[in-house]
Amino acid sequence: MEGLTTQISTLLDQIMVSIPVFKPELILITAFIGSIFASLFIDQRWKHGSLSFAIAGIVLSAYYVYTQLGQTQTGFFGMLQIDTLSVYARLIILGLLLPILLLIQQYTKDNGIKNLGEIYSILLAATIGMNLLTISTNWLMVFIGIETLSISSYILVGYFSENKKNVETAKLQSEATMKYVLFGSVCAAVMLYGLSLIYGFTGNLDFTSTAHIQGLIVAPKVMSSIAILFVFVGIGFKLGFVPFHLWTPDVYQGAPTPITTFLSTVPKVAALILFQRLFESWTSTLFYFGELTMLFITVVGIVTMLVGNLIALRQSDAKRMMAYSSIGHTGFLLMAIISSASADYTTLLFYVSVYAIMTIGVFAIIQFLEKNIGSTELVAYSGLGKSNPVLFTVFTLLGIALIGLPPTAGFIGKLLVFTATFDLYQHTKDIPILLLLITGALTSVISLFYYFKIPLFAFLRKGESTERTLPINSVAYFIAVVCGIAMLLYGLFPNLLSGLFSQ
Amino acid sequence: MGLLSLLIFLPLAATLLILLLPANLQKSYRYIALGITLTQFFIAGSLYLQFDQSAAGINTVEGYQFVEQIPWIRLSLGSLGQLEIDYFLGVDGVSLPLLLLCAFVMLMAVGASWNTSKSPKGYFALIMLLNMAVMGIFTALDFFLFYIFYEVMLLPLYFLIGIWGGANREYAAIKFFIYTLFGSVFMLLIIVGLYFSVINPETGAHTFNMLHMMNPDNYVDGSFFAYLNNYNEVLGIPARMIGFIVLFIAFAIKIPIVPLHTWLPDAHVEAPTPVSIILAGILLKIGGYGIIRVCYSIFPDMTVDANWWLGLIGIISILYGALNALAQTDLKRLIAYSSVSHMGFVLLGLASMTAEGMAGAVFQMISHGFLSAALFFLVGVIYDRVHDRYIYNFRGLASLMPAYTGFVAVAFFASLGLPGFSAFIGEAFVIIGTFNAESVGTGIPRWMAIAGSLGILLSAVYFLWTLQRMFFGQTRVKGGEEWLTALKDVTIRERIVLFPTLALALLLGVMPSLVFDTLNSSVLNLVSLLSPYF
Repeated sequence: MEGLTTQISTLLDQIMVSIPVFKPELILITAFIGSIFASLFIDQRWKHGSLSFAIAGIVLSAYYVYTQLGQTQTGFFGMLQIDTLSVYARLIILGLLLPILLLIQQYTKDNGIKNLGEIYSILLAATIGMNLLTISTNWLMVFIGIETLSISSYILVGYFSENKKNVETAKLQSEATMKYVLFGSVCAAVMLYGLSLIYGFTGNLDFTSTAHIQGLIVAPKVMSSIAILFVFVGIGFKLGFVPFHLWTPDVYQGAPTPITTFLSTVPKVAALILFQRLFESWTSTLFYFGELTMLFITVVGIVTMLVGNLIALRQSDAKRMMAYSSIGHTGFLLMAIISSASADYTTLLFYVSVYAIMTIGVFAIIQFLEKNIGSTELVAYSGLGKSNPVLFTVFTLLGIALIGLPPTAGFIGKLLVFTATFDLYQHTKDIPILLLLITGALTSVISLFYYFKIPLFAFLRKGESTERTLPINSVAYFIAVVCGIAMLLYGLFPNLLSGLFSQ
Repeated sequence: MGLLSLLIFLPLAATLLILLLPANLQKSYRYIALGITLTQFFIAGSLYLQFDQSAAGINTVEGYQFVEQIPWIRLSLGSLGQLEIDYFLGVDGVSLPLLLLCAFVMLMAVGASWNTSKSPKGYFALIMLLNMAVMGIFTALDFFLFYIFYEVMLLPLYFLIGIWGGANREYAAIKFFIYTLFGSVFMLLIIVGLYFSVINPETGAHTFNMLHMMNPDNYVDGSFFAYLNNYNEVLGIPARMIGFIVLFIAFAIKIPIVPLHTWLPDAHVEAPTPVSIILAGILLKIGGYGIIRVCYSIFPDMTVDANWWLGLIGIISILYGALNALAQTDLKRLIAYSSVSHMGFVLLGLASMTAEGMAGAVFQMISHGFLSAALFFLVGVIYDRVHDRYIYNFRGLASLMPAYTGFVAVAFFASLGLPGFSAFIGEAFVIIGTFNAESVGTGIPRWMAIAGSLGILLSAVYFLWTLQRMFFGQTRVKGGEEWLTALKDVTIRERIVLFPTLALALLLGVMPSLVFDTLNSSVLNLVSLLSPYF
């Protein structure tokens, strides 16, 4: 009894000490609850109530994340690891949420959906999950993070499906949700199974700890390989790499456009950071599972780039095309993971933020066009370039950035990844890495075909209807233009962006 | 801001100005474009006159003139060191004549687009953007900067061909884009490799500076593209050879060589006249220039190893292009294939690695630059009037359009290498250089010179045969009365464009020293850079 009380007091002490470390997430939790209440009580009087709560929470949380910069802390018995990478990653995540919130708000306004303030609170819940992914090296926390994120994402995808106005879209959305939930839960189950195996081998859930790695070394090779591959299933589902990409096209196409924007950008950042930590701690050992991880990521990277880009060629729907393009980019992100040297994440963070900005820009335009011309088919864009030159110039510019051509930031990002990968090749002389480089270059050429379908239809083809100028009264339009300008600016002066990551 | 920056950014300013002006001022766009290109031409001309002809260029910064070097991007990459990219411009004896050619051809292109009626705003804005990119390519001395201009050039061209082109324009535009991009993404990998292999001797950091890449002392021992202790191989081919081959293919697509030339006829046939002029007059030269500036100067050792193959590719391009030109029934396609043939001389001359041969190659680029521009302009004249350019649809145009026939005849004779015109000088020097190569020992056999001469003969055949088919004999055109009234002789505007061009061909044919004097010391320096590896 005596022992227990002292234990409890140390426990309590530890928790008390850890709370400041957890402050940004606590604020998010408060904002989550606050925006639920706001949607219940305030939204009737002031329709932006829950949105403002969410935005305030995100901004405040970002501020507290920023104050953690430069200090390495652990909390809750090493469950949380605060380091520079996690600070930057969370800042990126929170920063990306702001335009997405605005896009969602625009979407509800455009479609006349009322009293749906809860969507912001669900988004905040997802954010908590993503934050956990970036600050944890403990499998349990990771799994909680992934599940929080997944469950919130399921709701987000299906949230608008009871919209009675458009039965066809609603059907598509329910279908997408169903697929997403089924696929997601199976992946989660497989991952959990893998985790239980790993826990059995190592008796430790922290994947960076020595005990964990030693446990994996002594464990039977076949079994631990299987366990590792099972774990990758869960991460692969979140990142959307081949062969766990099958849900992406349907979900991206079926989900409301701002939710697709969210799914294709922010969760990827979180999952990527997790994968980066895992990759780093496992490949730093010279044992077979380090090589296995390396080989797995290299092969998956190559296949993902090829599959994503090749299938994207055949798409005629802009959202579906972007889904495959984001699969292709995931392959490229894996290349960034492989090449990013430990303790320096400039390349990775640069590429991931550039990827997110250009993707948000493109989806903002798709959303804007969906509202105004009622379609996401590429053919529907025919001839619109002439009457809306600014919009489609930005669209083309973002496409150029996604291909990775100068003078955009997409090019700088690609160059940095190529540079880092080449350096790795020079040191290791591994043929798979060279193949990875060549595939990266080759798929840029392939991607030109489909990204240039946008200017092809908009500028080169003539539309069926008479020319029409679309009204510029949307936040989506504004966000797209800002993203386009940012791509150009960061392309010419990359220091503006990379400088943020090297303080 | 230096004069070279001014040359590059004037057209960009024009682009912005054109985009900002409201559509009801659309008549002013062409005057803005004309004013800017004229200014550029005068700036380039004054650079040409001020140029110190003794400067050796190529591989030392002292050899370059009007140099501008400003630090541009400094990215810290942690363990990879710092990414050092400079805004680094300069011209030497090779690039300056090409720069002047560029300004001249742009002027012709603006002249040829005078009556563009389909959305002139976008059209002139894109032409000016293209103008900026090509000026940048010929002056950039930092590989990164070079690459940026090289890629930026593709975008306006895609839209210029794709929007203002002919019936099959979408296909031609994307084909052109894909071909060039295919070459250039792999070029990017080589650039990255070179970056890691080369150290800036002043700062000790890796660098994209092309001049540092040309000095073997700056290579890190054992690095991927190192001169010494380099056992790197890819698929059994030494790393430096791979680097050379990839870069060569990237630029060879632009030249274009056979068998990578198939984008050219399509692009030319679909492109509007001014874009054809720019394509033939400037873009093909970027290929030749890139080979000199990048492949030859950075990989001189590999160039010497590979030059027999370069010569062979040159010969094949000359003969295959000429034979194809013989078989064409579309006048524009014929001229496109004649470009392939004539650009083959550039490659042959470069492969010879003799001072005569290489000087001839650069001279041939310049001469072909404005002559092919003139030829495409002449095709445009007839196409503007009747929207047809099939050779067999016209006969006996000489009596209908006597002045036009005169211009065509002069342009044809000049292009087929009649002594007294510039093409003769270029081709003759190339042949002489190739013939002498065996005595210098660069590995180019004499039969290549003979095969090259055969190419000149073939070009005489197809040009003269075309002249005979279209212009001589009884006047008979496909479109009957309607065409006969439409086929008016050349207008004043067309004369203003054509006359200086053909006069220039004559002037350079009689006084080639105007170019050779500027070229000479740079070419000699290039030969001395290559000669240790013979």
